[in-house]
Amino acid sequence: MADNKSPIMERIAEANKAATTGIDAKDIKNWITIYIMGKAYKVPADLTILAGMEYAGYKFVRGVGCRQGFCGACATVFRKKGDYKLQTGMACQTRAEDGMYLVQIPFTPAETADYDITKEPYEASVFIKYYPEVARCVSCNTCTKACPQDLEVMDYVQDAIRGDFDGLADVSFDCIQCGLCAMRCPAEIVQYNVAQLGRRMYGRYGQGVPDHLRKRVKEINEGTFNEEMAKITACPVEELRQIYTEREKEPE
Amino acid sequence: MPELTYIEGYPEDMRKEIEKVAKTREKRLDYTPPAMTMKQRDEVLTVHPDYAPGGKREISVGPNKGDNAPNEVADLLEAYPLVEKDEIDLSQVDYNPDILIIGGGLAGTTAALWAHDSGIATENILLTNKLRHGDANSIMAEGGTQAADRDIDSVVKHYIDTIGGGHFTNKPDVVRALVEDAPLIMKWLCELGAIFDREENGDLAEKLAGGISVKRMHSCRDYTGLEEFRVLRDEFRTRGIPYLEHYPAIELLTEGNRVTGAVLWNIETGDYKIVKAKATIIATGGYGRLHIRGFPTTNHYGATFDGVVLAYRAGAKLRDIDAVQYHPTGAAYPIQIVGYLLTEKLRGSGAQPVNADGEAFVYPLEPRDVEAAAIIRECYVRDKGLTTPTGLRGVWLDTPLIEIKNGKGYIEKAFPGMIRMYKRYDIDIRKDPVLVFPTLHYQNGGLETDPSGKTNVGGLWVAGEVSGGVHGKNRLMGNSTLDCMVFGRRAGMSTAEYVKSHKDASGITLDHLNQYVQKLEEAGVKRTRRAPVILPDYRGKAALARMIDVF
Amino acid sequence: MTTTKTETTKTTPTGIAKIPYYPGCTLKTTAKNFENSAIATARALGIELLEIPRWNCCGTVFSLADDDLIHHVASVRNFVRVQEMNDYGLVKNENRLVTLCAMCFNTLKSTNLRMKNNAEDLSKINDLMYREEDYQGKVEVLHFLELLKSLGFEKIRDRVKKPLKGLKIAPYYGCMILRPQEIGIDDPEDPTIQKDLLESLGADPIDTPYKRVCCGSYQTVKEKNIVAELAYDILSHAQKEGAEALATVCPLCAFNLDNRQKEVKAAHPDFEEIPIFYVTQLMAIAFGLGNEFYGFDQNYIDPRPLLKKKALIEQ
Repeated sequence: MADNKSPIMERIAEANKAATTGIDAKDIKNWITIYIMGKAYKVPADLTILAGMEYAGYKFVRGVGCRQGFCGACATVFRKKGDYKLQTGMACQTRAEDGMYLVQIPFTPAETADYDITKEPYEASVFIKYYPEVARCVSCNTCTKACPQDLEVMDYVQDAIRGDFDGLADVSFDCIQCGLCAMRCPAEIVQYNVAQLGRRMYGRYGQGVPDHLRKRVKEINEGTFNEEMAKITACPVEELRQIYTEREKEPE
Repeated sequence: MPELTYIEGYPEDMRKEIEKVAKTREKRLDYTPPAMTMKQRDEVLTVHPDYAPGGKREISVGPNKGDNAPNEVADLLEAYPLVEKDEIDLSQVDYNPDILIIGGGLAGTTAALWAHDSGIATENILLTNKLRHGDANSIMAEGGTQAADRDIDSVVKHYIDTIGGGHFTNKPDVVRALVEDAPLIMKWLCELGAIFDREENGDLAEKLAGGISVKRMHSCRDYTGLEEFRVLRDEFRTRGIPYLEHYPAIELLTEGNRVTGAVLWNIETGDYKIVKAKATIIATGGYGRLHIRGFPTTNHYGATFDGVVLAYRAGAKLRDIDAVQYHPTGAAYPIQIVGYLLTEKLRGSGAQPVNADGEAFVYPLEPRDVEAAAIIRECYVRDKGLTTPTGLRGVWLDTPLIEIKNGKGYIEKAFPGMIRMYKRYDIDIRKDPVLVFPTLHYQNGGLETDPSGKTNVGGLWVAGEVSGGVHGKNRLMGNSTLDCMVFGRRAGMSTAEYVKSHKDASGITLDHLNQYVQKLEEAGVKRTRRAPVILPDYRGKAALARMIDVF
Repeated sequence: MTTTKTETTKTTPTGIAKIPYYPGCTLKTTAKNFENSAIATARALGIELLEIPRWNCCGTVFSLADDDLIHHVASVRNFVRVQEMNDYGLVKNENRLVTLCAMCFNTLKSTNLRMKNNAEDLSKINDLMYREEDYQGKVEVLHFLELLKSLGFEKIRDRVKKPLKGLKIAPYYGCMILRPQEIGIDDPEDPTIQKDLLESLGADPIDTPYKRVCCGSYQTVKEKNIVAELAYDILSHAQKEGAEALATVCPLCAFNLDNRQKEVKAAHPDFEEIPIFYVTQLMAIAFGLGNEFYGFDQNYIDPRPLLKKKALIEQ
């Protein structure tokens, strides 16, 4: 393909090298030292913990997932130089800092209770039934301090205790189920499981299926669109192109 | 790198550039560049990585021999297996489910639930995952799921939008299945307790997106895929369906022209397991981590094309494999988040792409390929992009417009994930625009199926991104999560029917692999490449250079 | 911030005084009728019980151990919320925190007392809650009955539209609002506050020595029958004195006296069932607030036949 190149594409590929092929030391000017499970590694400054560990030579098969802060796989605890506080974060979302001591927590031992939400009453009792340990909450707020999403975890545990499904759903919605709250909780509550149950209860009973959706499903089942659909699927491309170009657009 | 002074997350010189955007903001409030004509679209697409020369070649072996594919894809189809026939002991079967599902994202998990709903006992289903159950692109889907469920909308309109967005190359029968099942899937999700954004009156809140003519995008803040998936996974777990984690499939097992199971490999310990199954569903997702044309990606760590590689060796046909989707708006700054997704819903809610001169240069809701090409053109042809301290180029996405149009507090409510991602780098997307550049997002094509998810190979079904046809050459926003659930469901129901009327597979062999290796040898493919890839490698070059493999 | 005087209730120009209110978990679930009737009656008296934002469990049961500070954090956190309500202008110079549930009252007030009397404990807890502002020790925990008393029962009498004439009610106090003495709201041996309130409603209060006997409390979880025996003593003595119903302010007492009548009846077939009211339900009836505030559906023994007989609610 030597005679068939795209200079633009080559420039783009070159600019993105650090994100696609692993970092080359010769491109780096600023360095920091991090301690991965106690062992010191010199890594480029301005990396996430995850990228720093990879630079150091770790190939992850655990403690990594989406790499973008959605999946909760790369939970990490760390202490910064000169700070007594044990901190938490997602390795893919937290900047590596000079002197950081860190270890990953790639797994949280926790069991999902065996329930069928269609058979449960929409009441606070559902939490006590399946996750009775919620009642052990002493409001210490350690879970909230541990949350890498900055959620008010303790508040939603309290919402669960009092059966405020709406509040629980709202406060816990951005939970990525990394498990750091549960690992830190002195009452041994598995907060993210409690939230999952609560959100599903709210979705099913607090929100439910809206009428317009019910109506449309009924129409489809009754074959309301069959004739029009058969016609359009048999339409030749040229005609389709015209229909597509001329179709009306709903204003914003 | 010289020391930089940062002001609210941006280096000084970029901060100056931002002022230009702020200056034109008010003018742009009432101005949206017009949508391109078909001719203008064709013109700008010449700088799209799919159309720019040098990115593709003909596949030299297998069912799609002679078809064009990106070099990185052709490389994997023209690669030797990780294990060859005699290295695997097939005499001991470790699992013998009726239905084996490979890949536990939205598609695989939906398939398991519907197979169970169709009368297959939990113990006769097995779902295996490369990493954890749910480590998938599904959970990273931010923007939404399409379904035509408003009175002014219809499944036919959804059909036309989808086919048009796919440049009229989609397979009509599967598109029909997609749009007709969409409202049903939405209802199913609501009943299982998924929480969707709502209007005051309780109706589903719906939005526009690129290439869509009627508001039909359903979202769950900007965590749509996450919410949908975690609800399904919770249902899956409470039903007690068996699953394996950190066990990618590294090869399918066959008997004649029928898939009869798979070889799974324990990614931690290295031992393997043999699964014999009456029906196999591949739901392994896409190929972002192949970094096609050197682009960064929005994809999950495990998105390495494995399922296609395995099925292709067993004789499954591909379609539209040449068409790669680049999301127009990946993050281009700061370096820690390069390539990460900035959902299309941002543009759907009023954010405009703006060049270095503060001009809105493109209609914000073109189909994804057109929008992406326009941004590349702005940066590399018209030279009106910005350059970051690490040498990346990009244009602004003017996010503060969203709150001017929708009211204060809107971004916090609708895009908590985006706010959070940038806040970690001291950038406030409510006050300042963000720098964007296209990023590798989606495998448009894949394994060809009929509307039930069945492939041309006996005993083999596919669902989700790994399949091809439903999106043609270009997928619309909101059709991927939908694709996963529509065809996951159909594959689950269809395999359930199949296994009820088919006897247990008698043989499990790797014969198809021998035939494929023979074809590779005949085509003169050198034994340098092996596949599946399983995981990409980002280790530092220095560490790799001095590595000794002892264990 | 100046300390508020509790004798006078400040009112806004519209005549509504806003006072921070702590509900507690039970008031949001099994004792919803207690909360609804209390909020409605307070409003009828010109007081808005303003639920404190982001409140958490009181800590249920005040821990008596000297070195068990962690169990007081829950209560203290709620006091910080009251401070915040003042800081954010939700209430004006209002340090009173009103409770309904007797158990919450006891836990909150006991903790508050310990914090006020022990600077070192307070400082340790403040340090542990480093993300919150410090608790300054100025909150005053009040039971709803105390608030009513501070208004003056005369004022309540003025508000009555339907006197509970001829309704013989035995007030029942339990332990949590009376003991220990330093936090109790009335004479622990011979409390009268509910009697005074019931009189202002026009009812006939029935005095019984069992009014301050323990209901069995949390034994109800594991030792139903012990609790049933205690309930039998309390209820049958009240009946002997002529009571047609009992009144209480404690959801746990209410549960033991009301719901355990099933076990009482099983053990004592001659026993006649008797309704248990939250005193605020009786206030709501006397104020004529309407069915939606009575919440009789949550009462185990349905009080409606009795109320109908007395012509206090419609048929």
